Amino acid sequence: MKKLLALLLALCMIFALAACGETKTEEIKEETKTEETKEETKTEETKEETKTEETKEEAKTEETKEETKTEETKEEAKPEETKEEAQPEETKEEAQPEETKEEAAGATEITLWTYPIGNWGDEATVKALTDAFTAETGIAVKVEYLTYADGDDKVNTALTAKQAPDLIMEGPERLVTNWGVKGYMVDISDMFDDTDKAEINAAALAACYAPDGAAYEYPVVMTAHCMAINYTAFKEAGADQFINLDTHTWTTEQFFQAVQALYDYYGDTVGALYCSGQGGDQGTRALVNNLYGGTFTTADHTAYTWDDPLNIKALKALYDQAGIDFDASINGGEEIANFYNGIFKMAFCWNIAQQLNPNSAGTGAGLTGNGDEIVFMAFPSEDGTAKLQGGIWGFGIFNNGDDAKIEAAKQFIKYMCDSEHTAEAVRASNFFAARSAAEGTDLSGVWADNEVMNEYTKILPMLGDYYQVTTNWPTARTAWWNMLQQVGASDGSEGAITAAVNEFCGQANTPAA
Amino acid sequence: MPATMSPLLRRRENISGYLFLLPSLVFFLGFVVVPMGMCIWMSFTNANMDINTPTDFVGLANYVELWKDPVFLKGLRNTIIIVVVSVPVVCAFSLWVASAIYRMKEGPLSFFRIVFYLPVVTGSVAVTVVWKWMYNRYYGIFNYLLKNGGIIDKNINWLGDQKYALACIILILLTTSVGQPIVLYVSALSNVDHSLVEAAEVDGATNTQVFWRIKWAQIMPTTLYILIITTINSFQCFALIQLLTSGGPNYATETIMYYIYYSAFKLQRFGYGNAMGVILALFIAALSAVQFRLAREK
Repeated sequence: MKKLLALLLALCMIFALAACGETKTEEIKEETKTEETKEETKTEETKEETKTEETKEEAKTEETKEETKTEETKEEAKPEETKEEAQPEETKEEAQPEETKEEAAGATEITLWTYPIGNWGDEATVKALTDAFTAETGIAVKVEYLTYADGDDKVNTALTAKQAPDLIMEGPERLVTNWGVKGYMVDISDMFDDTDKAEINAAALAACYAPDGAAYEYPVVMTAHCMAINYTAFKEAGADQFINLDTHTWTTEQFFQAVQALYDYYGDTVGALYCSGQGGDQGTRALVNNLYGGTFTTADHTAYTWDDPLNIKALKALYDQAGIDFDASINGGEEIANFYNGIFKMAFCWNIAQQLNPNSAGTGAGLTGNGDEIVFMAFPSEDGTAKLQGGIWGFGIFNNGDDAKIEAAKQFIKYMCDSEHTAEAVRASNFFAARSAAEGTDLSGVWADNEVMNEYTKILPMLGDYYQVTTNWPTARTAWWNMLQQVGASDGSEGAITAAVNEFCGQANTPAA
Repeated sequence: MPATMSPLLRRRENISGYLFLLPSLVFFLGFVVVPMGMCIWMSFTNANMDINTPTDFVGLANYVELWKDPVFLKGLRNTIIIVVVSVPVVCAFSLWVASAIYRMKEGPLSFFRIVFYLPVVTGSVAVTVVWKWMYNRYYGIFNYLLKNGGIIDKNINWLGDQKYALACIILILLTTSVGQPIVLYVSALSNVDHSLVEAAEVDGATNTQVFWRIKWAQIMPTTLYILIITTINSFQCFALIQLLTSGGPNYATETIMYYIYYSAFKLQRFGYGNAMGVILALFIAALSAVQFRLAREK
């Protein structure tokens, strides 16, 4: 009897395993159901999502509620016909030809993985955007939120397991240089017509193309990375005389004078070249490159040139400056935390999103934890005109071999990057639109009502070369912060710094075997 | 199995036995044996993430490259230091603690077991975050205490200075590794045959003699188990490195395990990463075999 029971138990387990296998078959069957059934399922899903949305809406803050309500009212106020009429002819034809529309609708659901690009990492904000897209197109968007700490690993793992999402939102250094040229992404160059090419910022557009002419990203927002100072501390230490507050610029000489003044006054670390990892590394690169006009790559993005003597001079000057540390125990995020805490008087990892971000201490945007005023600054250079590192973000499509999903993903991109809804997508990011206009909607005034954003536009013309698309970028990126660690651990002699720079720049220029 | 059992009954027994084994066998094959085989195969290829570059058989090229790679050699050196320091310390410390507490009453014994076992059951991320705060250069508790105690006059960058970073990692590893051995030793010491201990005491044996001649011999299987799991854990030290130092500063905390991750997932050199994995497995197997042999001889 016992044996019989044991046998039954074992059989149950086998059947359970087999049943697990059959679930997949069921899912496949589901996919091959008729169009009508799909529509029903879709309605059910949409209903459920609407319910969830309602519940979430209740939990939202008063401000968000008002914003959402306004958006909803706008949507409701538009009669269906008017909406369609409002769409320019070209958009209608391009985005939804009748057959494609049906195919895309057949996809019913696409997946989007997004890095925390401003509020594109915030579920409530993104849900409002994707729900609006779903309401207009009938395509549901399942969103997964990545972090910069492990996002790349998740994507790489998904790619090797053939479980990649349909869409991904990040910058060209990942979408183009990493996944695009390795053959994982769909060439979306057909999405750029002449009008798009004229409207999109030239540097942003160029960064979305791989050397073979294929486009793997559609840009939506961009910014220029900068640095920040604790203006209150600067004033206390008398270092405010070294900055031009109107233009947010300073020269290399003024920068070192300011650091010295702060160090003399506080007797402690003023700022740190953080190098525990790659987080926020654009800040340290921009600082080193700007001080004496060094370069990071060749103009055609084929080789790394940070062994430039001007960069070595900058590293030596930073090493020798009291108050500046090479800190291998922190990364960019931790540097910002130390800046907010008042430990550092300047931060090299900064951009407009940080400037607008109310700090966790609740003292408000543009203030440190103890209420000191934060002022954003361009990186110092010899003539006071910096070349700022650009940040470009947009969408790319992973080639999962499903044409319907690819079409649906293209519809999503069109909706977010080139339609009357683009302004909302831009606002969600806290960055600037990557194009001047989208389907007749002027995007230059997206932030017209925001004083800080308007002030920030003063440094945008200093946007420099977007070199993150250079070959071998992941290796080069790691080599950079490892080099900073070695420089920091060295005796600071020019020979030691040169040796470290040459070793790691050499690594960056050596393609992996 | 009784010799008198009929062939039919024996066959039935076998079938039911295999059916019982089947689910775990499927998982074992699917998640252990097959990946191991794939790992060994891929270590002889140039497998990477680039769809445009076909995966080619490269023979022993990855293994040859390993021994020329200064980062791998530094990682190997650091890994060996971690193992050599942490394994004896964990074993000795946990045996000492267990010897001190195993005769206590249930209440205090449970208290100590909880105290030492807590870091084991606490998530490694949470433990690491707390340690990172304690090691913080600017506001960490270690610098605060040492500075206020007049021992140092300038804050130490514990995790950012290559003089201290590896020691800091080993210290955390020790605190998270002693819990299980203490519990095991407490259990093993409690199970030592007291009649032998009493007989030895009657014959005039000292405490030291009783410990080494009777207790130590009886807890040898537990010691062997602890040695092996601590060795494996030390070889596989990854989360601490990943969360605290990323192998820095200047590769001072680079370990083989972290370098495998870095090569495979950051540089996407799967073949090279797998070759390192094979080497690591061979190291662990060799060391475990030595430990087994030594313990058996004793």
